[in-house]
Amino acid sequence: MRTDRRKILAGLGAGVVSSTVPAPWVRGLRAQEASEIPVAIASPMTGVFAFAGIEGTDGANHFAQYLNERGGIAGRKLRLIVEDTGYQVPQAVAVFNRLVAEYKVPLFLGDSTGFQKTINEEVNRRGLLLAGASFASEIDDPQKYPLQYMPGPSYSAQVGMLLKHIAATKKGARIAFVHSDTEFGRDPIAQSEALAKTLGLEQVEKIVTPPGSFDVSSEVLKLRRARPEFTVFHGYVMAPIPEFMKQMKEARIETQFMGTFYSSDLGILQKMGDVADGYLGVNAYNYVNQEGVSGPAMDFIKKANGGKYRTNSYLQPWTNLTLGTEAMRRCIEAGKEMTGANLKAALNTIKDYDMGGVIGVPISVPGNSIGVGRIFRANLKAGKMDPVSDWIKAEA
Amino acid sequence: MSPAILDFVEFSLAGLCVGALYALTGIGFVVVYKATRIINFAIGEFMMMGAYFFFGLAAQAALPNWAAIVLALIAAGTVGGFLERFIFRRLIGESAISVFMVTIGLASIMVGLVEIAWTADPRSLPTFLPDQPFFVPLGSAEAFLASKNGWSFIIVAAIMAAFITVFRFWRGGIALRATAADQAAAYSVGINVPGVFSFAWILGAITAAAAGILVGSISGISSAMGAIGLSVIVVVIVGGLDSLLGALVGGLLIGWLEAMASLYIGGEYKQVATFVILLLVLVVKPYGLFGTHDIERL
Amino acid sequence: MRIGSAKQTYAADEAIFKTNVQRAWFAALALALILFPFIASDYWQLLACLIAINIVAAMGLMILTGFTGLVSLGHAAFMGVGAYTAAYLSNHLALPFWLTIPAGGFVAAAVGAVFGIPSLRVKGLYLALTTIAASFILQSIFFNWTSVTGGARGLTIEPASFFGRALVTPGAIYWIAMPIAALTVWWARNLLRTRVGRAFIAIRDRDISAELLGIELLRYKLMSFALASFYAGMAGALWVYLFRVITPESFRLIESIFFVAAIIVGGLGSVRGAIFGAVFMTLVPELLKIGASDLAPYWPDAVKLLSPVRTIVFGALIVGFLMFEPLGLNEIWQRTRQRFALWPFRT
Repeated sequence: MRTDRRKILAGLGAGVVSSTVPAPWVRGLRAQEASEIPVAIASPMTGVFAFAGIEGTDGANHFAQYLNERGGIAGRKLRLIVEDTGYQVPQAVAVFNRLVAEYKVPLFLGDSTGFQKTINEEVNRRGLLLAGASFASEIDDPQKYPLQYMPGPSYSAQVGMLLKHIAATKKGARIAFVHSDTEFGRDPIAQSEALAKTLGLEQVEKIVTPPGSFDVSSEVLKLRRARPEFTVFHGYVMAPIPEFMKQMKEARIETQFMGTFYSSDLGILQKMGDVADGYLGVNAYNYVNQEGVSGPAMDFIKKANGGKYRTNSYLQPWTNLTLGTEAMRRCIEAGKEMTGANLKAALNTIKDYDMGGVIGVPISVPGNSIGVGRIFRANLKAGKMDPVSDWIKAEA
Repeated sequence: MSPAILDFVEFSLAGLCVGALYALTGIGFVVVYKATRIINFAIGEFMMMGAYFFFGLAAQAALPNWAAIVLALIAAGTVGGFLERFIFRRLIGESAISVFMVTIGLASIMVGLVEIAWTADPRSLPTFLPDQPFFVPLGSAEAFLASKNGWSFIIVAAIMAAFITVFRFWRGGIALRATAADQAAAYSVGINVPGVFSFAWILGAITAAAAGILVGSISGISSAMGAIGLSVIVVVIVGGLDSLLGALVGGLLIGWLEAMASLYIGGEYKQVATFVILLLVLVVKPYGLFGTHDIERL
Repeated sequence: MRIGSAKQTYAADEAIFKTNVQRAWFAALALALILFPFIASDYWQLLACLIAINIVAAMGLMILTGFTGLVSLGHAAFMGVGAYTAAYLSNHLALPFWLTIPAGGFVAAAVGAVFGIPSLRVKGLYLALTTIAASFILQSIFFNWTSVTGGARGLTIEPASFFGRALVTPGAIYWIAMPIAALTVWWARNLLRTRVGRAFIAIRDRDISAELLGIELLRYKLMSFALASFYAGMAGALWVYLFRVITPESFRLIESIFFVAAIIVGGLGSVRGAIFGAVFMTLVPELLKIGASDLAPYWPDAVKLLSPVRTIVFGALIVGFLMFEPLGLNEIWQRTRQRFALWPFRT
């Protein structure tokens, strides 16, 4: 009996192994056509950010379709190579090393702030353009990150927009920051605390939550002491924001909840439940289901998705690729080689560019980021986000 | 009523309620260890399983909440019994380390299965606890206690009372204590020891699942929520691996200490504080507050 | 077919290579290892480096858990210590790799010895839990000691340079990683022949008896932790030269579990087991990835399922080996060799 089972297992094992053996020889033999420009994407298609990764991959693929239908990049087709990173930095680094060596891409899209910061030296050495899902303020520095850019305003700029809105709503308001103890969470805090002071706002509390903690009751007790009128969340995608909001309402704390880009997505807010109604979020884009928004890009997106709602994570790579391929086009037309430095210079010539409805105003990329955003209020009963401000320009 | 005392009371209440959940999960762990001497590293994943079963039944199959809870617990118990019968029974006699590693492997398998069925996205559970928070009068001020925390404490207390009754008075509970004390003797008086093993695993799984549903209702569920299992391991070490009372006291104590750390040191250091406590206990009193001292014989 | 071997000296009896046939095979292996980077693709060179690093780390854990019987679930944290040390020394003191890698090992050894102190009071699974606590405490230090470790952001490191040439490709790192892996394998194998190695095994089998025989438990247990952590530290330093990036998330509990799984799957208690285990556990996720991308044209969702399937396979390997083949791949290897050696007789 035991030997039979062993034989079966051995046979299965051999079968599995042999079915994968031919593959390594086949991989990488695909010839690259001269009329194509490859772009590599490290996408977190599995792991904690899988929802963002899958949306992002779709956004990228749809953009490639959109662009190639309109003649590609100066006549050459855009080809995307997407690989999964599981939102782990070492895996992303391995994917980067492998894809950049294999395909010699002029542009690489990364998956996280951690990855983009750590790969910076390598990007500078190899000379290519890098963008991704990160809005980290540190990356918004053309001196330190000469070959990187981001598809929207940095986190500091985003919180800055929220703070300015607060200052315009109520002078000297009491505010509290609630952020996660991660790089993502810590990013805009120092700058934002200083800005709050300049704007005359009173910061009454700052809560730092360890990643993966499940109980927020002690933090809510601190907020009950502090009684902030505006509570700004940052560094979370969903949890523990709904729990904070629920308990703070229970504790009879009268406050307006606000958050940055990632928590401002309608899909996420709907998942949070009724408690998220009235949440103020700052977004870099129009919402796909927003009324009165149109343009060639937005119309294509609405049609390609058959009216299905797509999240912010879908529009991010769309924007990254729009800007990146535009930079490539300008480089080619100027007869320049597509090195990182040339591409960045071309990117910085983008002024008053029309994003086809994805962003409501024409944009420029003088540095590493797009300096506009808009504040929306969650109207969950109607299933949409209502704009409460116009498109705000972040201060340089 | 000085603010400092109010702080202390409020934070203590919050910490005790969290501790109650730790204690409940700890009971699930101790029941298995007591009967079978197996350290179930996958206790956090059992919690996750219970929470996801509830989610699947209540949110996706749209059953009424109470039915979903009962069915989820039954399903969790079935899984526990299944694992005992087909995996752990075959490992009787293997070294403790091997079995421990099997539970680690099981934890991975359970996480993977949950991710395939429900993806790794975090989700919210349907609410089934009342929404009214508790305001405890304290002199001139009121101490605030969030509704979910308060109700969790009450539910855990009820379950605890049921446990104590069962283990004191019911034949099955006595059989389990007998098996825990001396397997050979239990066999010789006619106790169905393999049956006791199954019972222990089923009960442990149900308890962990119940804790998982409560924890999930507080902070949402995700495929990574099994990480709470590590805090539970600290609880049972502090309380004593084979002591139900120890799990209770240890859970409340660790929950309370974490809240105190959050109040006086800062929220970021909660987990580190827990592990420093673990190290201290292991070095000073390795068998915990109430555990039985294992005398090693050659 | 080798039935018995009569030796006339202790040295001959304890020799690692007992016959000329064995020596010939090893020479062939050495040749293959040297020729490998010239014939393999970039992808396989990266895998080879990873395998070499995992062999070093697994060998360390084999000494601690396989030879001395002390279960440790904090091994990856000691790799992290070695990695951060190497990165720090390289960035701040501009030391070359051939100094930072051993330095990483020594610092990790010191830290390992400290965290091994509880092994004197607690045994078995309690010790495993202590090492889990050590893993979390170290990770918290990596996260919070920003001045040295760069905090949540981590550290980047300049590539290793060899006489002015920067070693950036995996193929170049292979020439550092492979010799170090070979050295650690040789040291570990040699350890078994020495007094220290025999003391370790005595502690594993029955530590009370060992103490009665005059083996000082304190000294040898700490030595085991230190030695295992030295290997882990070197593996970590190699890792950081390969990826040139280290963050607090790089070495977590799950990585420690990976190494324990590797030595169990490979076969506890043998040097060969550590090698088999490291190679196997490194290759399985890669094979799964290749399989998923092969299936992708027919079943597009295959790639999305890759991560959970990998998790399940990982767990299933641990459970499966412990249930059906507790002595691991080494045992399978021995059995197969036996069958060939004794053919046409039945085994």
